Amino acid sequence: MTEKRSYRRLESTKELQRVMTRYYGMSNYFRYWGKPLGRKLAWVTSGAPVELLRVFKIHPVYPEQYGAICGSRKVSGELCQVAEAQGYNQDLCSYARAHIGSILRPDLAPMKGLPKPDLLVACTNICGTVLKWYEALARILQVPLIVIDTPYQPGEVTPQAKQYVLRQLEAAVVELERVTGVRFNEKKLDTIAEKSRQVTTLWREIKDLCAAKPSPLNAPDLFIHMAPIVVLRGTDTGVKYYSLLKKEVEQRVQEGVGALEQEKVRLVWDNIAIWPHLFKFFKMFTERGACFVADTYTGGWAMDFSEGNTMETLATTYTEVFLNRSAQYRARQIIDQIRQFDADGFVMHSNRS
Amino acid sequence: MTRSAVEQLVETASLTGREIMERYPDRQFFGFTCSYWPEELVLAAGMEPLRLFPVNTRAMPPELPSFSCSLARGVLAELKGTGLKKLAGLGQAQTCDTMQCLGSIAQGAFPEQVLELVPPVLLAAPGAREYYHEELKALWQKLLGLSGEAAKEENIAAALNIFQRMRQLVRQVDEMRPRLPSPLVASLLRAGQLMPRQEYVTLLEEAVTALAGYEETGTGKIGILLSGPVLEKDSLYLMIEELGGRVLVDDTCTGTRHYAEDPAEEAGAGRAGSVEGLLEQVARRHLTMPLCPCRHRRLEERSEYLQSQARERGVRGAILVVRKYCEPHAFDAVPVAKALQQQGIKALVLELEGADVGGQERTRLQAFLESLG
Amino acid sequence: MTVYVGVDIGSLTTKVVLVNKEGKQLGRATARTGYSGKEVAQRLTEQLLEERSLTTGDIGATVATGYGRVTFPADREVSEITCQAKGVAHLFPQTATVIDIGGQDSKVIRVLPGGKVIDFAMNDKCAAGTGRFLEVMAGALEVNLDQVGPLAVKADKVCAISSFCTVFAESEVISHVSKGTPKEEILAGICDAVASRVANMTERTGLELPVVFTGGVAKNQGVAAALSRHLGAELLIPADPQVTAALGAALFAAEL
Repeated sequence: MTEKRSYRRLESTKELQRVMTRYYGMSNYFRYWGKPLGRKLAWVTSGAPVELLRVFKIHPVYPEQYGAICGSRKVSGELCQVAEAQGYNQDLCSYARAHIGSILRPDLAPMKGLPKPDLLVACTNICGTVLKWYEALARILQVPLIVIDTPYQPGEVTPQAKQYVLRQLEAAVVELERVTGVRFNEKKLDTIAEKSRQVTTLWREIKDLCAAKPSPLNAPDLFIHMAPIVVLRGTDTGVKYYSLLKKEVEQRVQEGVGALEQEKVRLVWDNIAIWPHLFKFFKMFTERGACFVADTYTGGWAMDFSEGNTMETLATTYTEVFLNRSAQYRARQIIDQIRQFDADGFVMHSNRS
Repeated sequence: MTRSAVEQLVETASLTGREIMERYPDRQFFGFTCSYWPEELVLAAGMEPLRLFPVNTRAMPPELPSFSCSLARGVLAELKGTGLKKLAGLGQAQTCDTMQCLGSIAQGAFPEQVLELVPPVLLAAPGAREYYHEELKALWQKLLGLSGEAAKEENIAAALNIFQRMRQLVRQVDEMRPRLPSPLVASLLRAGQLMPRQEYVTLLEEAVTALAGYEETGTGKIGILLSGPVLEKDSLYLMIEELGGRVLVDDTCTGTRHYAEDPAEEAGAGRAGSVEGLLEQVARRHLTMPLCPCRHRRLEERSEYLQSQARERGVRGAILVVRKYCEPHAFDAVPVAKALQQQGIKALVLELEGADVGGQERTRLQAFLESLG
Repeated sequence: MTVYVGVDIGSLTTKVVLVNKEGKQLGRATARTGYSGKEVAQRLTEQLLEERSLTTGDIGATVATGYGRVTFPADREVSEITCQAKGVAHLFPQTATVIDIGGQDSKVIRVLPGGKVIDFAMNDKCAAGTGRFLEVMAGALEVNLDQVGPLAVKADKVCAISSFCTVFAESEVISHVSKGTPKEEILAGICDAVASRVANMTERTGLELPVVFTGGVAKNQGVAAALSRHLGAELLIPADPQVTAALGAALFAAEL
């Protein structure tokens, strides 16, 4: 990218590219070696409890992130049309349409589409669309579908919801044992969940560092550097990467170095990024000295891992995410962010999602 | 001149929520939008359930983006208007993302009066029944709080009896579909989502015996399976009928699906009027009744159910209605159409803004029916 | 002599065709629909009869089709999809697929030999892929609608129009104009946008050859060339592609 930016590039970006290239290289490896080596690959929603899958050495791949890649490579339109030709309505979620299009026409798709999964895992905590999307995938690909229903929480998270999710996670374990032929190992789950906790804690600490003035990071940094938090929760690579990023961000804060050359206005961003024009769009703000010091979207993965045994922790953690909460809760979250980060205003991105 | 029961029901079905409340000024009405809302609980708590429909499908309340369905937009506009001020409360059963947001927005506007219920999405998942039971229990307490009534055994028993009888009667009407004009059946069924339930059962009881007088045979109509969302008016049914079709299976949210139950799970008659019994029956019905696209039991269950309905009633074509921006129905239209087509039943996916149909829809429907003829 | 009348009242144009009992076309007339398609259709019918020294008494039967069919006093009304298939199959008996692009809608119709409709797809509630889209874009470029095709086929390059939404596409066109993109290339892009949208619809019904292209837009060489490219197939275009549905209606009238 040769575009001149009005803000500073992070050193860690190089490592980020390495980490993500390795992740996709690994995913691609499954395309050829998964079967002979008996290793399974799953397509999962961004809010699915991947810690469980990792116990069974299942490699998770994220169609939502792939949807964002299709968006930033500007092929979504064409892929959506492929899905529309199969009868999928043009008003349906474009992540879903683009992804379905990429399965039907891999020749048009980035990386020739995602490597085919052995199973599908959807968790309803991020939206209701994923149920319908993954049902469609299960029909097209004829592979097992595991859905975890995390009931929407209009108020405080209820004990019956936690219990219900826990029961489903236990059932998922049985199903995963069946699919992989591997016995469940609770100790292993503890270790993986601990790594997830470290990764998400690091990510939250990094986000919190943006309370400094000037803010060491701007929203596009968060959007770019959130990639590993989505795909590498519960891994050493994830812990290592975010430790590195945190060091760099801390250093910026200590030296009083901001994300922007000159920060004049502090803003909070709500909702998903505009992937096809990530830099072009935020440039309009950075040129005027406006920095997005916090956002709600990348905070979706800055989860507080709650106490209790690991299965209970997972049940609670994945049920209480902000996307599964009321408008009131989410408004309060933005207000809290405005206070915490001493922001001057916020921008809401109303997209069709 | 006194009007017949059929005429009264048809007339009532055309009323708005405000008009219903004006007609029964001594009742306490409680609004709801989705078939997964437990009406039995509302009635047992001493209130009258009233299904809220959009009056103006072009309403654009600023709280909702323009790409929300006209059901959500229209209902919100009604709630914000003056006509529904006397509602004792609003019940939102969680279905899709849009209706979930509607509940949240309404919650902000009427904090004490909006009750949200989150039925399980995976109706057959382990723990779903226990979870739902607890949800219903909490809801029951909130409903009593709103109505100011105490739980009474006789009210609970009466509410269960009314709904049991109502569903039996609707089943009888549904079985007469081949011989009855479709708009008439649609009206009869919609009235039961609007007017006080005891009155409805009394009128429907009378109407069922009189329906023989409305029967037409040998009309040569083309049998249709209609599936889709809420249809708050008869205009689609009228057009189908006018173009030579007849709805034999009505799997819309306001049609037979609203009343349906799994025959194997039908509620036992006159069960003890305990709260536990009430909650158990509601949970059992909701967990086992024919699926709406927002819920899941088994991947192909909904397609297979519609296939079997189509076979049983001998339909020749299927009309799958998608209310513009309704994501669950739009997603499901793809596999359902395919499944029916594999069975030799042609399917038309028809996108509607609301429940009204015009020239564009007429062309599609007419061409579709002509291709079946 | 007894004649049979087919009346097609479209959103933009009203078409009338006369046939004899054997289905031979005797005459045709078209005019803008304007405010009253019914009156226009009646005027055109009278005009056609007068030219042949006939009166309304000589009409055996009338069938109406098109958007305004409901308002016209005919012996029968038949949807334009069924009529289109009938008319096209009369001209090209082997027709397997009809693609029709009219003023406010576009259709793909799969037919059996003889014109029986097997399946069809129509555009969604959206002007993309219709004559209306072309008209709006031609307006934005200040080009006469008749000139869109001839200019588009002269272009060396096809300018990409990525928005499906008519309003967004219009502003995209305007921004291309301000960048100095040659008008021909923009017009080629517009024709291509319509064609690709409609070509995509053929996947819903399946595409069987031969394909016949009808409707007012079939007279536009730009769209026809782009559509043929997208489908990878030769298109058969009737000499008078706008009146095929009216012809089908007239043929139905002759069978009444």
